[in-house]
Amino acid sequence: MRGWSYLAKRVSFSLMTIFVATTLNFFLFRVLPGDAVRNLSRVPHASPDLKAQLRRQFGLDKSPWEQYLLYLRELAHGNMGISFADQKPVRGAIVEALWNTIPMVLIGTIVAIVIGVATGVLAAWWRGSWKGSIGTSFAIFFYAVPTQWLALVLLIAFAGLLPSHGMSDPYLLDDSTGAKLIDLGRHLVLPATTLALTLYGEYALITRSAMLETLGEDYVLTARAKGLLPRVIVRRYALRNAMLPVTTLIALSLGYLVAGAILIETVFSWPGIGYAAYQAVVERDYPMLQGTFLVLTFSVVLFNLIADLLYARLDPRITL
Amino acid sequence: MTLLEVRDLNVWYSLDEGGENHAVRDLSFTLDRGERMGLVGESGCGKTTALLALMALLPPSASVSGQVLLDGQDLLAGGEAIARQHRWRDLALVFQGAMNAFNPVRRIEDQIIEPMLTHGTRTSDSARDRARELLEMVGITAAAGRRFPHELSGGMRQRAMLAMALACEPRVLIADEPTTALDTMVQAQILALLTRLSDELGLAVLLVTHDLPVVSQVCSRAVVMYAGGLAEAGPVADLFHRPAHPYTRLLFEATPDLHSDREVVSIPGAPPRLDEPIVGCSFRPRCDVPLEVCSDRAPRPLSVADNPGHVAACWHNGGAR
Repeated sequence: MRGWSYLAKRVSFSLMTIFVATTLNFFLFRVLPGDAVRNLSRVPHASPDLKAQLRRQFGLDKSPWEQYLLYLRELAHGNMGISFADQKPVRGAIVEALWNTIPMVLIGTIVAIVIGVATGVLAAWWRGSWKGSIGTSFAIFFYAVPTQWLALVLLIAFAGLLPSHGMSDPYLLDDSTGAKLIDLGRHLVLPATTLALTLYGEYALITRSAMLETLGEDYVLTARAKGLLPRVIVRRYALRNAMLPVTTLIALSLGYLVAGAILIETVFSWPGIGYAAYQAVVERDYPMLQGTFLVLTFSVVLFNLIADLLYARLDPRITL
Repeated sequence: MTLLEVRDLNVWYSLDEGGENHAVRDLSFTLDRGERMGLVGESGCGKTTALLALMALLPPSASVSGQVLLDGQDLLAGGEAIARQHRWRDLALVFQGAMNAFNPVRRIEDQIIEPMLTHGTRTSDSARDRARELLEMVGITAAAGRRFPHELSGGMRQRAMLAMALACEPRVLIADEPTTALDTMVQAQILALLTRLSDELGLAVLLVTHDLPVVSQVCSRAVVMYAGGLAEAGPVADLFHRPAHPYTRLLFEATPDLHSDREVVSIPGAPPRLDEPIVGCSFRPRCDVPLEVCSDRAPRPLSVADNPGHVAACWHNGGAR
């Protein structure tokens, strides 16, 4: 029973957070220099009438408070507005972008978690030897490297071998499902690899330091005194306990991923949510910006909640 | 009859900044079957290092020389694989306080079962029965085995730790300050339990502590360590009434006694640094009766008054000039 009331409390707190973030976002975009009207009316012979007309059409002639209340009312009905740029409903565009982002982010993240945790465990186990140093050095390198730089290097290195742009080949002759999937997979390789490499370093370093801590605990010494095999000690004792902070940190970092792949999606023109956010900033497309940021806020808050619940699930000492 | 014999045990830790810390120096002692022996000395004198060396559990930065003979078989000669087979089956270890000696995310029972399955001494089902039996034997209910370590009190956890130590029916139980973190009542209960188990199971106990009253209460013999080496060893009564090493005498004088008016003294000074060579007797700077020879040469452990069970490393105890 205590668990449910805790959950209710956490969920209502999360909703509050989302509301506050949404409000801040709404006003934040409106203090950005430049606006959508100036952008759209950048045509020869644009008259003040045209600008006023656009302003009225987008509702930008109303006061910010009016616009805000209008936005909230429509949002409550599930309406995220019409994009300034292409006059299409934002919701459909965001759902489509999300569907494009998720496979790429999911694959990249899973690869990063597997490689990162494995590297971290081995680097901790081999601490002080050259094998451990190599693992740690690579992790630090990929943690430190700017995402867009790594993306460009991979792009240059594999251009020609693998598609570098978008998520499907428009000139694909064979339109069977299998061929389409293979084509998607080939497009996925570079962005997903970039994501995996930039993430794995961080995961490896977190895992390593958590492992070094648990390997020094008394219960690990007890486990060794009991004559358990090293791999059992690492898995059941050191890693199992190290996974408590690691899981939380990974869950938290996943929250940023949904929209956080902006740099990668921009370099590889991957039509996902990050790329949509980038485009919306360029075009000062307020409804689209609000939509993408709402998704980002939602995912950060959601994964925070998941991290909390997961922690309680993994650690018997924590009851909700 | 001798069960465990430690011969000329030396441990050096290599230090990060270069040099070595000679933590255990030429330590030799024997432990008989079913005997309870204390290993006494102040903090940092190498007690814990010595017992970790017995089980080959020291970190890679440590180098060890000497022999640890169990029924004549050297436990340290065969490398990690051989040492692992002896752990818990022959030598089991109970740690200080046992606060963190259990894995916090596994149930007590599962942790008791683990060594039996690893060493193949029991099948899965009989191991579970055995775990419940052991928990009842140490005075907690078998149901407590289904709990997580944090759900038990400190005293219960230390009892569970003892139950775990007995899982594979070891011949020697090494207890490293098993009662330090517990309050006095619980401490007395745990020591009584330890004594009872040792009597009932014929279990040899090596009790490592800095608490002399505990040693005299539980053990028949004791080894007094100073600066990594043996200062004096013998029956507890002899150590108390006829100490042959000034350190032993001063240790007892430094222990408060309710039943006498004797003043409690402290031993001035501090133990020597172990990362530098020690010339002469390691206790000389703090000794209240130093001789001239003490600063030149280190005394060797010799029998006291021709009693082979009582040895002391002190020039007052004789030895060739």
